[in-house]
Amino acid sequence: MPTPKWLVVARNEYRIRINRIRKIKPYFPYLVIGLLAVYVAFIAPTVVNLFIDDFLAFFFSQVAVAMVPIIMFMIFFYLIILPITYTLQGMQAGQVEIFLAAPIKPSDVLLGEFLGVMPFYAIAITVMAGFFTAALNPLGLDMLQIAITVTIFVVTFLSALWVGTVIAALVRTKFAKSARGRDIGRALSLVLALPMIAVMYAIMGGGLLEALTDPGTSGMVRTILGLLPSSWGAEVIVGFASNPGNIGAVGFETLTRFGGLVFFFVAVLWLGTKAANRAYSIEPTTFTASRAKPDGFFYRTVRYLGGGGSFGTLLASVFKDYGRRLENLSRIAYIVGLIAMVKIFFGGGNEDPEGALIMGLFLFPFLAVLVVGQVTAGGKESVFIYKKTPFGVGRFVKARLLQGLLVAVPIGAAITAVSMIQIPQTTLISLLTYTGFMSQLVAANVALALGLSLMNPEFSGNTRAQMVGLMVNAQVAMFASIGVFIGSMVVLDLGFLNTVGLQTVVIWLLGIVFLYLGKRKLSRIE
Amino acid sequence: MKVVIRTDKLSKYYGKGGEIKAVDELNLEVYEGETFGLLGPNGAGKTTTVRLLNCIIKPTSGAATVNGYDILKNETDVKRVTGLLAESPGLYEKLSAHEFLDFMGALYDVPNNILSERIDDLLKLFGLHERRDYLLEGYSRGMKQKVLIASALIHDPPILFFDEPTSMLDPRAALMVKDLIKKLADSAGKTIFICSHILPVVEELCDRIGIISQGRLIAVGTVDEIIAQTGTKTLEKAFIARTGGVEEKELLAWREQKGANP
Repeated sequence: MPTPKWLVVARNEYRIRINRIRKIKPYFPYLVIGLLAVYVAFIAPTVVNLFIDDFLAFFFSQVAVAMVPIIMFMIFFYLIILPITYTLQGMQAGQVEIFLAAPIKPSDVLLGEFLGVMPFYAIAITVMAGFFTAALNPLGLDMLQIAITVTIFVVTFLSALWVGTVIAALVRTKFAKSARGRDIGRALSLVLALPMIAVMYAIMGGGLLEALTDPGTSGMVRTILGLLPSSWGAEVIVGFASNPGNIGAVGFETLTRFGGLVFFFVAVLWLGTKAANRAYSIEPTTFTASRAKPDGFFYRTVRYLGGGGSFGTLLASVFKDYGRRLENLSRIAYIVGLIAMVKIFFGGGNEDPEGALIMGLFLFPFLAVLVVGQVTAGGKESVFIYKKTPFGVGRFVKARLLQGLLVAVPIGAAITAVSMIQIPQTTLISLLTYTGFMSQLVAANVALALGLSLMNPEFSGNTRAQMVGLMVNAQVAMFASIGVFIGSMVVLDLGFLNTVGLQTVVIWLLGIVFLYLGKRKLSRIE
Repeated sequence: MKVVIRTDKLSKYYGKGGEIKAVDELNLEVYEGETFGLLGPNGAGKTTTVRLLNCIIKPTSGAATVNGYDILKNETDVKRVTGLLAESPGLYEKLSAHEFLDFMGALYDVPNNILSERIDDLLKLFGLHERRDYLLEGYSRGMKQKVLIASALIHDPPILFFDEPTSMLDPRAALMVKDLIKKLADSAGKTIFICSHILPVVEELCDRIGIISQGRLIAVGTVDEIIAQTGTKTLEKAFIARTGGVEEKELLAWREQKGANP
């Protein structure tokens, strides 16, 4: 009897994921099961025991009623976007053709892809469920309550992952067939995380929890949360925590909420298999080819800023290539969104410019790194184009530096100006002074970010690999900023503006060194 | 002679109101055991035809049968009797050649007791046996193409579709693939459907050819018949006569701007 097709696909999917750790492949399942058993039996209860009083106080408080649904919602949302993000970052439609040409049903492919990744998701589910169960255990839950709690975690998280997997397959079909679609996908993969970060920041610094525990302000949010399947299980868990060992006291709630959750899981499973036919198709969905417009005022200005001659043309071309990639624009949207959220949730009530701008010292390196991006992401072939032309590499680096400055400096200046305007005693002079200083700092960070990007080139088109490289660069740039900040503000006590000035000089110097080394590296790439 | 591929006004239109005619009322017959070549310029509809005949996409109108199976009603049967080397297929780069072929064999229900041996034989045939456990991400384009050809053969189907089979191969590998195709046709009795715009390959391998342009089949016959139909002397000239080309006087016109060096 032939192997079921979903099992063939699942095995293949598992092989692909496990290939990163090929050497320990045969032992991997035993290793993971062993480690998880140790975690569930010893580590999680030990960690919980360290904070047992806090946990007990939490579960008996009004905060738990608000907090548990939010935690469950955040994990639920995260597990939905996880497969979508993973798919968007590395989309390939070619593999779909393999399945379409083979005698296999789309629902088997979908189920196989889901089950193939499941062992890895199961690790995350076990870690989360193990921790929560260990935290609930001291309350004195009976075996049935513990069993239902574990089942709630498993069913809630599996539902989220399945929904995410189905959406990911549909999204891949929609976007992966064209270069434009793949670009849109990569752009979306980054900004998808922003809503979750917003909720997290709102809890950490925005007083969301306090608002939710206040019956006067929490009504609508609680009602909305209550409609989500992630909250149904949370309500049962909170009910168990209030009535340990007495499931009868919350029998009706358990039956309706838990029953609803199981029904939801079965329903999404069924709907997902029905959607599978749409999820595996290579039929073109659009014939609208992107078309370049004649250069307008903006590109004419860029050309002019580049000297008007052949370098101006080169700069305008570099700008066009950058600006027409949505992935680049989404990185800018991401970092601007992040800075805005930091300002909203953590930056309120500053009376002086230093307090309002200090975050910028640490966030502007991120801004620069994300604006510059991976300059070699077009692959070695595009580097060879520059290598082939006279003085090509130098002109390429110069063009990318100018382009980075033209994008990042206005953003940095605008963020500084907005922060300053919110301070009542800001004068025009102080506004211009601080904006000028911070813009210089952004410019220095752009040079450093570009130098780092050239030193650590990432030629693959895979967004995951690119983001890893960018995060490494961001850490290096931030480390440099923090180092100078501590030396200047804490050790030498130079004051804010002097610190910004010193940071600018040091980072420019570092940037020039890295630009030189990066250019040399690019010239030697074969 | 038994017809194994038959299309009847097979059409695939895209866009609003079907204004883009990828394949337009294609009538074609391919006989058992023959090697048929579908020639055409880029965007002519070759790949769409292959995808339609492999049930990868559905026709807008018309009908087709492959080995007697209707492409709309017997999708699974059609897929079982065909092997496809797609034009730009996705490989699982994180699998080794052996793992990939193992996966493809399982997809096509090749029994386990013969699959492993067949994979080894195919890898030996393509000179990849030594690298069977290397991940495909480290393979050259030509080596990947060989793996894909092996995957099209893994279930030993009676009908094979090769979309640009030699386009990425070095001369030695291309020669081997051409010899393999000849052997598959002559000794194993396979029906082979080749899409290409490399005219010498088609000329050398195919018993009959069809020329497709803008979705329409504009000529069918043996190479000699097509040349005779166009009143030319070579297949290349016949192809240009049928599909259009650039006039010789236009070839250097791009150098004639005012102020440019003569």
